[in-house]
Amino acid sequence: MKTVTNKFSNIFDSIMSGLSKYKEAIVKGDLFVKLSFLWMGAGYFRRKQYIKSLIITLFEIAVLVFTFTFAIQYVPKFGTLGTVKQESVFNPITMQKEFNNYDNSFQILLFSLVSFIVWAIFLVVYIRNIYRQYQLQLDEQNGKAPEKFKDYMNKFLNSKFHITLLALPVLGISLFIIIPLIAMIFVAFTNYDQKHMPPTELFTWVGFNNFVQLFGGGGITSTFGYAFVRVLIWTLVWAVFATFTTYIGGILLASLINNKRVKLKKMWRTLFVITIAVPQFVSLLLVKNFFADGGIVNTICANIGLIDWLRDIGMINTTYIPFLTSPGWAHVMVILINIWVGVPYQMLIATGVLMNLPNDQIESARMDGANSFQIFRHITMPYVLFITGPALVTDFVRNINNFNVIFLLTNNTYTTSNQALANSQAKEIDLLVTWLFTLTRDNYNYKMAAVIGIVVFVISAVCTLVVFKRLTSGDKEGAYR
Amino acid sequence: MKIKFSDILRHLFLAFLALIWLIPIVWLVATSFSKYTGMNTSTFFPEEWSLINYKNLLFASDSVTQFPSWFKNTFVIACATCVVSTAFVLMVAYATSCMKFKMRKTLMNIGITLNLFPAVLSMIAVYFILKALDLTNNHLGLILIYSATSGLGYLIAKGFMDTVPESLREAAYLDGASEARVFFTIVIPMSKPIIVYTIISSFLVPWMDFVFATLMLNSGISSNWTVAIGLNNMLDRMLLNQYFTQFCAGGVLISIPISILFLIMQKFYVEGITGGAVKG
Repeated sequence: MKTVTNKFSNIFDSIMSGLSKYKEAIVKGDLFVKLSFLWMGAGYFRRKQYIKSLIITLFEIAVLVFTFTFAIQYVPKFGTLGTVKQESVFNPITMQKEFNNYDNSFQILLFSLVSFIVWAIFLVVYIRNIYRQYQLQLDEQNGKAPEKFKDYMNKFLNSKFHITLLALPVLGISLFIIIPLIAMIFVAFTNYDQKHMPPTELFTWVGFNNFVQLFGGGGITSTFGYAFVRVLIWTLVWAVFATFTTYIGGILLASLINNKRVKLKKMWRTLFVITIAVPQFVSLLLVKNFFADGGIVNTICANIGLIDWLRDIGMINTTYIPFLTSPGWAHVMVILINIWVGVPYQMLIATGVLMNLPNDQIESARMDGANSFQIFRHITMPYVLFITGPALVTDFVRNINNFNVIFLLTNNTYTTSNQALANSQAKEIDLLVTWLFTLTRDNYNYKMAAVIGIVVFVISAVCTLVVFKRLTSGDKEGAYR
Repeated sequence: MKIKFSDILRHLFLAFLALIWLIPIVWLVATSFSKYTGMNTSTFFPEEWSLINYKNLLFASDSVTQFPSWFKNTFVIACATCVVSTAFVLMVAYATSCMKFKMRKTLMNIGITLNLFPAVLSMIAVYFILKALDLTNNHLGLILIYSATSGLGYLIAKGFMDTVPESLREAAYLDGASEARVFFTIVIPMSKPIIVYTIISSFLVPWMDFVFATLMLNSGISSNWTVAIGLNNMLDRMLLNQYFTQFCAGGVLISIPISILFLIMQKFYVEGITGGAVKG
């Protein structure tokens, strides 16, 4: 807690000192510093830094043009997200039906957001620019020669090289992750769904309604609360099982292969790795058909009489085993198939870790008469846990978001008979992410999808924070150095 | 070395596990050589063997299967993605590993936070952004999606660069080398394993991705698709009985190059990680 308050007071201090510098610049700046409030290149122009002056002026003009040609179309409507629906109107001049000048709520939302971000960047540049102009004035008064443009540019290959390196990646991440994410977080507070699809119907802000609906509110007809609890429980159960089965399986398999007495280690490893080298959409779609209701496994099971036996003891009441089409069976099957997919990955990682085992410790333990199980339990396992502990957390989060396995195995073939779940487009086998995907792709229920996305984020963030704190706290850090 | 009973047991157990793991793969290969077009549900191995699926897939394109164009599309997208992604990953890794600047920690924390959001959430908004740029149903749009965000996957490369001894870089600075020079002439040549790893792993993304590809290339013109969309479409309930064995043949055809790349990548991955441990 203390560090958090410290951090905040630090930020506060730096803002205050920045502001006081700013005030100083306003009060003591000369005419050109003051002029740079309007014309950002003024100070540079006065100090004969013409290229810089030109660049910053062009930047200012670009932002102004952006504001008055682009942003002005969208930002004023941000409060309502548009009011004019798309309609076709008869135009007496062209004698044809034409669309009116309509609004599109999502465009308004998205492009307003882009405008806000552009303005925020502009504001930062603007304030820093004024301060820099004042600095230039001080330098001149102290008789310091202004920096040459060439030297300035050279800095971007030297002390400011990180800016050169990071500019494009950060731009890409902003455009394709940050802006879309913020836009979808906004959508969680609107009523954007199938009944409100722009441009023929518009959507608008509804506050926390969607969250209330997901957590059980929203009237008797809404089953989202029920579906959410069911899906959430299965998501967590799945994540726990999927993470630990593959993790332990991977370590066991790796130590089995790594054993001194095993011949042809490379061959064994390669055999297992081949299964994950086949793209998942091929291998999983194949496995799905392998275990289909009329698939080969069912034929074999029927031939050996397994199906009759299962029917006799009441496990199934169909003429096939519903491996991936009924709850219970499907839940177990996806976890088993995930072991098939995940163990080779974990084995690869564990192999890397096991190669660096503290050999002296094992040797001395063996001299003291420890058997191989004791060594595994007391030396290998703690060491591996220490090294791969953080990765375990990432794996857990990745499994909460594990889209491929569930989607490829059950999409289009699994239908739920639970009416309450079906009403909110969920299935027993759905994880929160696959539910989210069905809601967006098949039902255009963007508002609930966005809320679920936020919930997934909160769960992942909490898991990460709690576990990381556990793992990094205490005096374990230097244990294996 | 004397052969013990437990050794035989151990090898038998390994062989048993390997068998379980390989059954679906064997089935894939076997079915791809079947003469029958639909899914064979009565026997594990096909009743009649033939090369007809491969022949049809490669030389007799119809409205459903356009395997040669899918392969070409995916290959072009993969090459472009791999160049941009590798550059981005190396740039971010160097900046966060070898340079000390004010926003470093903040940026890295933002990166971790962004990874906690489910990727499918932002999908819709990404679609609208690309639509506004008129890049949907366009391979350039797909390349942008795959490569623009690749900078976030810098952590492994950063971990490797962390192990490049600081003294090497310091010596170069003393000789008057600029930061850019150190990047290009010292750190990059030393990061070979991790560069190979990054190149291959980013090359594989378009071959494996299915979600973003279906979302972006939704025009229904099958010659525009990538391999993943096309093969998945063959398993549509209406088409399954006509194309299942061709799907298997397609699966085998793309799995061969991908497996080879994957095996190479995995070697460099282990080298990248353990090599670092030796140096550090």
